[in-house]
Amino acid sequence: MRSSTPLIEVQNLRTAFAFGSRTVPALHDVSFEASPGRVLGIVGESGSGKSLTARAIMRMLPENASVEAGEARFDGRNLLELDENAMRAIRGAEIAMVFQDPQTALNPVKTVGWQIEEALIVHGAAKAGARSRAIELLSMVGIPEPERRIDEFPHQFSGGMRQRVVIAIAIANSARLIIADEPTTALDVTIQAQVLRLLVDLKQRLGIAVILITHDMGVVAEICDDIVVMYAGRVVERGTVEAVFADPQHPYTRDLLHSMPRIDSERRAELPTIPGATPDLSRLPPGCPFHPRCSLAEDVCRTSVPPLAALPGRPGRLTACHVAQRLGALPPRTAAIEAPVADRQFHDQAPILVVEDLVVEFSRGGLFGRTPPVRAVDHVSLDLRPGETLGLVGESGCGKTSLSRALVGLNPISAGKVEVDGMDVTGFDAAQSAKVREQVQYVFQDPYASLNPRLTIRQILSEALEQRGVARGAREAEAARLLDMVGLDPSYLERYPKAFSGGQRQRIGIARALAVEPRLLICDEPVSALDVSIQAQVINILAELRDRLGLGILFIAHDLSVVRHLSDRVAVMYLGRIVETGPAAEVYARPRHPYTAVLLSSTPRPVPDADAMSRKIVLGGDMPSPRNPPSGCRFRTRCPIGPLYHPDRQICVSDEPALSGAGAQKAACHFPDEAAGLVPSSSP
Amino acid sequence: MTMSQTPVPARRPVLNEGVARYLRALAQPQGLVGCGLLLLLIAAALLAPVVFPGGVDQQSRDSFLPPSPAHPFGTDELGRDIFVRCIYALQVSVSLVIVSVPIAAVAGTLMGLSGAVSRLLGEGFQRLFDIILGFPSLVLGICIVIIIGPGWLSLVVTIVIFSLPQFGRLARGALLSEEGREYVLAARVLGVSKGKIMLRHILPNALDPIFVQVSLSMIAGIFIEAALSIVGLGIQPPTPSLGTLLNVGIRYVYVQPMYTAGPIIMLLLLALAFNLIADALNAQALKTRGE
Amino acid sequence: MLAFLARRLPSVAFMLLATSIIAFLLPRLAGGDPAQTIAGADATVDQVEAIRQQLGLDQPLPAQYLDWLFGLLRGDLGTSLITNRPVGQLILARLGSTLELALTASVLMIAFGIGLGILAGSVRKGAGRFGLDSAISVLLATPPHVTGLILILVFGITFNMLPISGEVSILRDPVTGFSLLLMPALALALPQAAMIARLIQARMMQIRQEEFVDFARAKGVPRSQIVLSHILRNSMGTAVVATGIRIGELLAGAVVIEAIFARNGLGLMAVDAVTSRDYQVVQIVVLGAVVIAVLTHLFSEILLAALDPRIRLE
Repeated sequence: MRSSTPLIEVQNLRTAFAFGSRTVPALHDVSFEASPGRVLGIVGESGSGKSLTARAIMRMLPENASVEAGEARFDGRNLLELDENAMRAIRGAEIAMVFQDPQTALNPVKTVGWQIEEALIVHGAAKAGARSRAIELLSMVGIPEPERRIDEFPHQFSGGMRQRVVIAIAIANSARLIIADEPTTALDVTIQAQVLRLLVDLKQRLGIAVILITHDMGVVAEICDDIVVMYAGRVVERGTVEAVFADPQHPYTRDLLHSMPRIDSERRAELPTIPGATPDLSRLPPGCPFHPRCSLAEDVCRTSVPPLAALPGRPGRLTACHVAQRLGALPPRTAAIEAPVADRQFHDQAPILVVEDLVVEFSRGGLFGRTPPVRAVDHVSLDLRPGETLGLVGESGCGKTSLSRALVGLNPISAGKVEVDGMDVTGFDAAQSAKVREQVQYVFQDPYASLNPRLTIRQILSEALEQRGVARGAREAEAARLLDMVGLDPSYLERYPKAFSGGQRQRIGIARALAVEPRLLICDEPVSALDVSIQAQVINILAELRDRLGLGILFIAHDLSVVRHLSDRVAVMYLGRIVETGPAAEVYARPRHPYTAVLLSSTPRPVPDADAMSRKIVLGGDMPSPRNPPSGCRFRTRCPIGPLYHPDRQICVSDEPALSGAGAQKAACHFPDEAAGLVPSSSP
Repeated sequence: MTMSQTPVPARRPVLNEGVARYLRALAQPQGLVGCGLLLLLIAAALLAPVVFPGGVDQQSRDSFLPPSPAHPFGTDELGRDIFVRCIYALQVSVSLVIVSVPIAAVAGTLMGLSGAVSRLLGEGFQRLFDIILGFPSLVLGICIVIIIGPGWLSLVVTIVIFSLPQFGRLARGALLSEEGREYVLAARVLGVSKGKIMLRHILPNALDPIFVQVSLSMIAGIFIEAALSIVGLGIQPPTPSLGTLLNVGIRYVYVQPMYTAGPIIMLLLLALAFNLIADALNAQALKTRGE
Repeated sequence: MLAFLARRLPSVAFMLLATSIIAFLLPRLAGGDPAQTIAGADATVDQVEAIRQQLGLDQPLPAQYLDWLFGLLRGDLGTSLITNRPVGQLILARLGSTLELALTASVLMIAFGIGLGILAGSVRKGAGRFGLDSAISVLLATPPHVTGLILILVFGITFNMLPISGEVSILRDPVTGFSLLLMPALALALPQAAMIARLIQARMMQIRQEEFVDFARAKGVPRSQIVLSHILRNSMGTAVVATGIRIGELLAGAVVIEAIFARNGLGLMAVDAVTSRDYQVVQIVVLGAVVIAVLTHLFSEILLAALDPRIRLE
């Protein structure tokens, strides 16, 4: 299957940043190749240099970065030596690029058609035929009514549709190589599935080579043929996706794969973690950059950088690990894989939180005129007991954050009832607010925004302790105890937030929330801003604290794998409503709502599977605006078992299904028995 | 841990650190030059009666003498030393803005932050700011002169009203952006009182741009005085201000160009000093935000 | 577009209403009794009372205001109590001079502002950048009257190139008229132009960081075309709005500039009217200045909406 001649060969690429008179090397001897008809995944965490690699090939490095050595041979020519005009002729014509954020990648004041035509015209196309070709391209990437939409502006397209336009521009001149830099990271999981399928489809139909830059091992497993793993500006492992995933030969790759929570496996008490954080490029450790975090590190790893070299007996496999090269393969993992844990039951305890028919509405408007309110949360009910974790999942805009913020008084409650520890707190008057804040605390998503940069950690924790009524003299010791509880050294108290990594900041955020000794923690996407190798640390701390302190956790996330790992029960939200809820194991194994089934099917799994994409249910369209929800079942406009595919099912248009079910699992669907059949059986 | 013996209250160090930051900002080359220049001008203005005991109105028969070591800017139509008059004039110009800009800064900031207490109040002040901003500075000055009559007081009122919206909008902008920050939300979830959130989280972040604006408003105020006095609606003769000197000086621009150039040199020196200070403060603010 | 206008109109109407009330109240806040002023110092109480009734000053304030406002809408700008001439006539007599100055200054402001802004936003390195940055900073820090005085000292006195005071209509004698117009117009234009340039420069720097500029490069678009179609095109809105905002300040600058350059325009008339307590004249000039400022601002926003589909199609 491997094509004989690679389309692009990158050899020993080195780049450096200039900070004033100081030069900081960024990429070290990066080498890889990509072939027509194949997808190469370059995977790495923030700071690994994966995006920089792409920009170096395109000769679009930031102004203070430069190529120091190496070559990038494309079709026999070294791209790094071409003059700007020759390179410009290649950009967009031979090599095209797809950027991460479709919101910002298109010029907001030009029509979509103009932007496609521009790409054609700068590479010599006649103005006359450009428009019809643009329409053709739009329909090729699956944009409905291209003749009409070609004259629309980017803001009139949804995020997924914009990314399709970006892809249409990339293939406009029949480029032979497409470099996609995190093309789906800014998109919801159902939209991600659409875009990934489009990429795979184009690759097969047009025989182009694709370089996909991503942090997501699941995406790599599902659509890539080859993989390059990068860490701290170096390639640490290379090979085919199948081989690398089956038998990783660099400790980083292996640890990363193990530390990922899995949607498709049994739930375990604790995730294996990689200690520490990804290193800063300007302060790389000597020797192998991974050695401070590596469980196999030997003396040689601390002093000499391992070269990327082939492993004897494993054709096509390259690894940059002294240990693997010395032994011929990595020694087996010593850490035992923990036994699966069963979902726990909490029926015997009194709930700490009861929410009944909660409605949250927002209205915009100043002194003159108001817009009609938008209902972000529409009659949602849920409950939670101490020690229990309820996972609340849904895509952006489904109302999960609006809901969770309303529970702590940050959003207004328009109707319904919230009870905390048996007390009705819906009105959030003084006594009720006091009750809520001593029982319920909140952990925010963005660890960089949730700590005031002007306060030291001690001041941040003291503020919280003051609220609990801890005497001034006792606060310091208590703050130290809190830091210790989340696994941070108490000597960090006098530092400012900027001294900490994202994962450490998130732990400080957890410590602050725990300072008032709450019984319920609301965690709003607490790990989604963190690097994969850091996520496991934070997840483990949450699980441990929950079990030790008997905390109830309302865990809000869009990532079903993370939710699966932590939750006893899950609730799935769509357009302001809960569409399915029940014990996590049951919902994941046998969803009774098609939306749950679609989410499960769309979530990438880190298991290589050539047919993964073809077996997925890919949902058409986008989430409707909560301003104007569809009648009847809100999911019917996208539902794979609804009136779109079964015109006779008019009940979905006329009647809104109630959340119902015989056991603990309840779904709001008229045809709940058909949902489970939608999920592809996971690979053997 | 011996440190736990002397627990430090949470709020104090914040403000101390805040003060230290501004001092550090002013210790940068730009800030030092700016402060030095400003202090020199203020000292000259204050010490003028000591250094030039003859006073501001000492006349002589030598009118319109060209610049010389004895009279650096020459003499005016009554033989008075223009340099001495310029130094005295600094007293009026500088005292004017030193009185009015802080009033505007405090009042404007409070009006801008009032939205935290009452949404309606905040909105109301915004509308007020809109109206003020609709009035170009000199039109505003004319209105005030009509109501109060020309003189020192109407200039103070003009500068205060003119500067209010600048501070108000900065403060409100900071309030709106800070209110949505996750660390402010976290403090609210903890039940920290509005007052403490304001003092600890919102105000320190609002102060940076406000201090920069104080410097800039000082310049604007000094120029407003000059403009209104040039047309006779500001400081009234015989009190020398940079504007009144120009009012007379422009009539003699052919015979004594220094009569016009002298006050302008003073104006530009003041503007340079405050601009340098503003730049230094701004650089520090950007650095903090970049962290 | 209509929705955008509908959203902007209430605040424009509010501004105009507030300004008209302030303008209306000005003479009353100034103190003094207009009836007494007209009647003279030695008039009897009855005479003063008669004049008061004749002027409608015995009516309640709101009624007087409405009366005045509807008068304005009919084109009746009132009568000067000092010169006893209709304010409309007085203004018309001076309008030409100020119009010449304001239009010339506006053209210069737009030309210099946008030119300097684009230049400063395009030159990103070296001495050119430093020079442009410094030039804009200096112009920005120097208000019209100081700029005007410096121009007089440099071009009028030191180099003796241009006449420093007086005016001739450019319609009558274009060469002399223009040479007299150049310095005051420059004085008005330069500080506002620097403001516009700074905004355009900042906007261009910001747009340069946008991903769509990178994407255009990745498409193979030549650099010149990127600057034109992507960076400049997206900075135009800022230029338009900045210009709209600065026009009001530019007009107000005429108050001092006309005094400095001895031009017999509306600004000088306003100053004289304040000194002679001719409040009926001042009131109209103030109202006119603010109305023009508010309307140019609105007009610039409409233009912005036309330039930006995100606003136009909302």
